[in-house]
Amino acid sequence: MNNEQGLRLELDGIVKAFPGVLANDDISFSIKKGEIHALLGENGAGKSTLVKMIYGIMKPDEGTIAWNGKPMNIVNPKAARALGIGMVFQHFSLFEAMTVLENIALGMDEKMSKKALEEKVVNIMQKYGLSLNPKRIVSTLGVGERQRIEIVRALLLNPKLLIMDEPTSVLTPQEVAQLFNVLRQLSSDGCSILYISHKLDEIKELCDSATILRGGKVVATCDPKKETAKTMAAMMIGTSLQAINKVKSKELLEIGFSVNNLSLKGGGDFGVSLKDISFDVYRGEILGIAGVAGNGQNELQLVLSGEIVLKDKAKISMNNIEIGNMSAKERRKHGLCAVPEERHGHAAVPEFSLNDNAILTARNRQNMVRAGMINANIAKQFTTKIIDEFNVMTTGHGASASSLSGGNLQKFIMGREILQVPDVLVVSQPTWGVDAGAASAIHQALIDLAKGGAAIVIISQDLDELLELCDSLAIINEGTLSQKQKVGVMSIEEIGLLMGGVHGEAKPSSSEVGHEGIANAN
Amino acid sequence: MQIRFEKKLEPSRKMLFATPILAVILTMILGAIVFSILGYDGLGAVREIFLTPLTNSLKWQDLAVKAAPLIIIGVGLSIGYRANVWNIGAEGQYIAGGLAATGMALLTHNMSGWYLLPLMGIAGMLGGMAWVFLPALLRTKLKVNEILTSLMLTYVAIQLLNYLIFGPWKSPTSFGQPQTVLFNDWQILPYIIKGTIVQAGAPIAVLIAIMAWLIMSKSVFGFQVRTVGSAPNAARYGGFSENKTIWLVLLISGGLAGLAGMLEVAGPFNRMVPQFPAGYGFTAIIVAFLGRLHPIGVLIAGVVLAITFVGGEVAQTTIGLPNAAVGLFQAMMLFLLLAGDVLVRYNIKIIRARRA
Repeated sequence: MNNEQGLRLELDGIVKAFPGVLANDDISFSIKKGEIHALLGENGAGKSTLVKMIYGIMKPDEGTIAWNGKPMNIVNPKAARALGIGMVFQHFSLFEAMTVLENIALGMDEKMSKKALEEKVVNIMQKYGLSLNPKRIVSTLGVGERQRIEIVRALLLNPKLLIMDEPTSVLTPQEVAQLFNVLRQLSSDGCSILYISHKLDEIKELCDSATILRGGKVVATCDPKKETAKTMAAMMIGTSLQAINKVKSKELLEIGFSVNNLSLKGGGDFGVSLKDISFDVYRGEILGIAGVAGNGQNELQLVLSGEIVLKDKAKISMNNIEIGNMSAKERRKHGLCAVPEERHGHAAVPEFSLNDNAILTARNRQNMVRAGMINANIAKQFTTKIIDEFNVMTTGHGASASSLSGGNLQKFIMGREILQVPDVLVVSQPTWGVDAGAASAIHQALIDLAKGGAAIVIISQDLDELLELCDSLAIINEGTLSQKQKVGVMSIEEIGLLMGGVHGEAKPSSSEVGHEGIANAN
Repeated sequence: MQIRFEKKLEPSRKMLFATPILAVILTMILGAIVFSILGYDGLGAVREIFLTPLTNSLKWQDLAVKAAPLIIIGVGLSIGYRANVWNIGAEGQYIAGGLAATGMALLTHNMSGWYLLPLMGIAGMLGGMAWVFLPALLRTKLKVNEILTSLMLTYVAIQLLNYLIFGPWKSPTSFGQPQTVLFNDWQILPYIIKGTIVQAGAPIAVLIAIMAWLIMSKSVFGFQVRTVGSAPNAARYGGFSENKTIWLVLLISGGLAGLAGMLEVAGPFNRMVPQFPAGYGFTAIIVAFLGRLHPIGVLIAGVVLAITFVGGEVAQTTIGLPNAAVGLFQAMMLFLLLAGDVLVRYNIKIIRARRA
């Protein structure tokens, strides 16, 4: 549509590299005037990096950005706004104690009298049906209303291109419908919209075209109206990767770890509620838990590791012992080790030596403690063993954890837990930010640990990693965990749909395996 | 213009050791200048406050007497500060400990036996612990900041002290003086060096510092305290309860402050008097920081601060320096130490304002 009107934005050969990662690799696509264009991709596909370059927050290493046909060097967000590029961020920057109008006035590049501004704001609100009282204090507003402030802010600049970063992740369905009306009206007025999301249904409903990113590259540009959610999911996740058939000679007969109807109320310290989660992991099995970030993974990790202790001990059990009410320390003594996602300050204390970081979780299982005192020699031996066996590049056991690179520290942390030979291991993001060589070493160690009879749970956003490592897979979405299925049985489309929160649509292709247990599938 | 502090990746270890010494030297220099400007003999003031107590052997026993409570309280505070628990109401816990020990002494006044002093010691520690109970409860249950609650309770302790010695505990034979009766012989600390005023408090302080050093560097508890202070999430992951740690370090610092109170009341004072709150609890905060929160460092810093106390008294008589001068020197020392710490741990960058 609108072909004759020409292109609003053209990206040609955009490259952006960070140390160790090629975030954007030769990205080219264009957005027409008045077009609603989706930018689709998993976490880490390079969406935010790309958008930051369009909005002038970062500069591309290579490639050109053309605006209305002319190449532009967008030096900062102010320059972007001057061109007519507006952006609504996923996280709002609003002052709670101030009114809607005051917040809008603070974000303005040009000075304007309060009266004139209010008039303009009210006009825009009326035009687009954005119901919002400019005199309200922000702290009294809901999330949807706060987002409207940000939208009004962007619209005040008369944008020709509006970038929306995951706008619906915090909205209710009704608010989503309202937002879509606004966006459609903007589009018919000639404003282009770059809509970033991984929610496939929404993109089908709203967008005229879609560019799909994977691993920093454009893998496809398509018309979402002509695609199904399934085919887009396949493009987003990549079917090039075959589910790997690991050579296995293990008998999956004995349940090593089991979670029964686990619920956890969200809010306060915990963001997402966990809803009625149940699963069993057999000894020797690796279960992967996939999902988009922020769907309850952190909470699940904390509950399983014992950092959040439950009242009801029967909710979690290992080796037929109920451990739900045990602390992390007691669980570790029983043979449950864990690695949380955040390395600095959670899995390790940055300013402590590697020695002390080994003591942190291994002191009891490695018999470092006698009568309340720590045996420095045993600690040193164990630390040296981790460094040797996991090829940790460091000056020695006395080096501080903060002196290690991210990948090396992760190797150390994984080594520390794996070398304690746990019966159950719960790991979040085992190879996050780790180079390929180290990642495969960690993968091999996990597979070997499972071979030895451990039950392993891996919570990761990296689907490729899960498909490569795991025997079975479950998907977490908004605190609910799907039924676990054998890897290779669940189609990529189905996984993608579950991750995007579409339930119950994708049954036909794989319904025949839904009830097959893992034990008799061998 | 804007000044920004950027944390250094790894602060120089040498400088971390050097800053306390630098702070003391700078205090002497600045102090000399300030008191000269005020019209006193500035150099003389510094000499009397910092050097006379060291050169005059008659003053050494005074040093031991003053350093003991500072060290005992400072060790307790430093353990708490390591865990990021900021008890600054040690003065109140010291008074409460002194009062509890006095209560025990009055209760057992017509008894005799070696066990009376240990009983008073236990009472003193329990008194100090009782004074941190509320701050600990409020902090762990309602996340109320312990800095405020512990400080405010100090004034409650002072009022309680006044009530007791002006009221129910007032000695009938004191001719109206607000003070308790003298403790009996079994309730007074023994002198450890014949012919001096050095009582059992000094060796106890050294013993406590050494024990704390062992515990903090070698035990699981010491490890726990350091972990909770450095990275609470990692502590929880490692199986340490933050709340339990807060309780423990507060009880330890309160208990040690209470013990110091008992040693003072059963030592130099021999009875409870209105002059009992001498500010040891507040000065011990400086001691803890100057000693780098390390028990052996605290031992040394306790002596340094004791020097300023003893020297202050000397300077009062020899060159007529006001009593408040000592407080000024001590405050200057803490200020310079903290400022030095910022420079060691952070790079300071000055950023020109960006034009909007």
